[in-house]
Amino acid sequence: MKLLVTGANGFLGSYVVLDALRQGHTVRAMVRPAVDIATLGWPTSDRLEVVRADLRSKNGLTDMVRGVDSAIHLAAAKSGDVYTQYAGTVVATENLLAAMTEAGVRRMVAISSFSVYDNMRASPLAAVDEQTPIEKDGLDRDAYAHTKLVQEQLIRDHAAAQKWSLVVIRPGMIWGKDNLLNAWIGMSGGSRFWIRTGAWARIPLTYVENCAEAIVMAASSKGAQGETFNIVDDAAPTQRQFTRMVLRRVAPRRIVVPVSYTLLRLTAGSIALVNKHILGNRARVPSLLVPSRLAARGRPLTYSNKKIKTVLGWKPRYTLEQGLDRSLSTNLPSSSVDSCVTDRSPTSQPATA
Amino acid sequence: MVSTTDTNNPTRLKAAVIGTGQISEEHLRYLSTAPGVELAAVCDLSPSLAKYAIMRFKAGRPFTNATEMLRDVRPDVVHVLTPPHTHVPLATEALDAGAHVIVEKPVAPSNKDFRDLWTHARSRGKWLVEDHNYRFNEPILRIGQLLDSGKLGEVREVEVRMALDVLQEGSRFTDQNLPHPSHKMPAGIIHEFITHLCYLTLRFMPSWDRVAAAWTKQSDEPLFKYDDLDALLLSDKVHGRIRFSAHTAPDTFSVTVRGTKGWAETDLFQPHVRSSVQMPVGKQLNPLANQFVGGYGQVRASVVGFRNKIMQKTPYEGLATFLERTYAALREGNEPPVGFDDMDRASKLVDALLDEKNRI
Repeated sequence: MKLLVTGANGFLGSYVVLDALRQGHTVRAMVRPAVDIATLGWPTSDRLEVVRADLRSKNGLTDMVRGVDSAIHLAAAKSGDVYTQYAGTVVATENLLAAMTEAGVRRMVAISSFSVYDNMRASPLAAVDEQTPIEKDGLDRDAYAHTKLVQEQLIRDHAAAQKWSLVVIRPGMIWGKDNLLNAWIGMSGGSRFWIRTGAWARIPLTYVENCAEAIVMAASSKGAQGETFNIVDDAAPTQRQFTRMVLRRVAPRRIVVPVSYTLLRLTAGSIALVNKHILGNRARVPSLLVPSRLAARGRPLTYSNKKIKTVLGWKPRYTLEQGLDRSLSTNLPSSSVDSCVTDRSPTSQPATA
Repeated sequence: MVSTTDTNNPTRLKAAVIGTGQISEEHLRYLSTAPGVELAAVCDLSPSLAKYAIMRFKAGRPFTNATEMLRDVRPDVVHVLTPPHTHVPLATEALDAGAHVIVEKPVAPSNKDFRDLWTHARSRGKWLVEDHNYRFNEPILRIGQLLDSGKLGEVREVEVRMALDVLQEGSRFTDQNLPHPSHKMPAGIIHEFITHLCYLTLRFMPSWDRVAAAWTKQSDEPLFKYDDLDALLLSDKVHGRIRFSAHTAPDTFSVTVRGTKGWAETDLFQPHVRSSVQMPVGKQLNPLANQFVGGYGQVRASVVGFRNKIMQKTPYEGLATFLERTYAALREGNEPPVGFDDMDRASKLVDALLDEKNRI
């Protein structure tokens, strides 16, 4: 298949490009205009074309999209205020959908997020799966959750109206090289400390190469069309286990400062009550003390990957330990692709919008 | 002017907003709660952003086409909050549709363009109002009160100074993927702020005879035309200084007014008015008295500042006052608080600062 990958220069996107090449597809990788593609570690191949565009602008998008069989849409804003995230996630998606419609491209794999799940309503007695309730609007959680919800619904509505083939992917916590520690397991306390928020909650981990492989499989699988898949690996360690595993191997060594989830939960709940009943919900609360956000990070839930295994036949290629070894390796990720890519002719010159 | 569309409540004005970027939040917050205002429509090229504004601020209907919105809704007042190069065409269309227009700065690219648009507005019996929101911030109003009370004497020096870290990585101004529209303006990113600097200066220094402006670029950021401005305004007795710096810290937006009897200053980012005026003590004790009062004020301001931070009171607090007074004027058929003279002088000063013959 000829696949368009948006957000190709991002952490997950760069691996999706590699895995698409590994699985034998032709790839049109859409990177942001100012990106240095030499840093992405992609091999030279006549099955890889790089185009430059910023989806926040419609200019030239239709031509960039034309001729592909399917779009894997990864581009999104990960930070910033709500307007920044609307521009980078929602408006970018509106522009892509319009371009695809005009160009006659009718298949998409849309990358959503576990952030859409309502962790406060999720039952601790059942594993989080594709049927778990999603947030109403995510506004009381954060701008990322809200814009990913809006994005996912926007894509679903457009695909239904246009009768497209759509797969929605919700990855768990994506981790890998240069992305080992993140908000799911705490926060940095300077270069010497790691503040671990919670200990016993399991983390819905997906190692980036495993996740990328699943996404590419979804693009070409007939059985996947019309479905929604969560991507989590088999191993779902606790925060304590994963933090210990990672911090033991990265340098400089950090001291873990554990903060009780129960204490945080009580504090967050108290602040929420005061904010609601006394301050009219006008107070700005540190994000860690927003109950819905805290629940997403620390509520002791379990996670299922049964559906994606059953429907796609996917299973995680790398274990937790193998993923960590590869993440800490100095080799570029493309070393795993080189043996599959035999044509060494120069990569196409990037077209610029 | 009263609304002719609501016979049950003739003083209720129907408002519409075009453009839902960051500043729209301040306008919409006022419009959604102001008595006597019906927030009837929000228009944006992005249907999702228009819907978000409707949902968040309980507004009327979302639109993606301004012409359609003006035709269907027939608002009394339109807020034009879009990128600067669209202000004149959208304001013109709204005026032609029978609405007063409140527009974000700069109202027009030049003084001539402003005057043409003003003439167009008045020929239709409508008001055109540029948002000079910082004039209505509490500290600026307080400095105005000190001046009016005579405690500062006659103004001799005015300095308006903005320091902003616009060069930091990740800033919207350094985004090379989709350059900020202000980079195309004559003053580059400084154009984003220059109207504010000008009208605040002119609040306390009504006229000038000579201008000298040093526009420089001290960084090697490829997108930037300028990242520093140092301008001097001279009138018969008053010196004015306008500064913009991307190279000093911390971020500041300070206004200082010095008069023949005392001085007052504030930083709009950390609002607190410091002053030195004649106290009811002797001349020898006056500096000490001012120090005591100033010290108490500083401590109090730090507590208030902390509370404001938590309660999300921002430097845009003057915008609500500006809109309240503007809507009151529109309801009563009076000239709005930001009138022709204010906008004319501000746009003339911007032109003068950019004029090659005034460059040093």
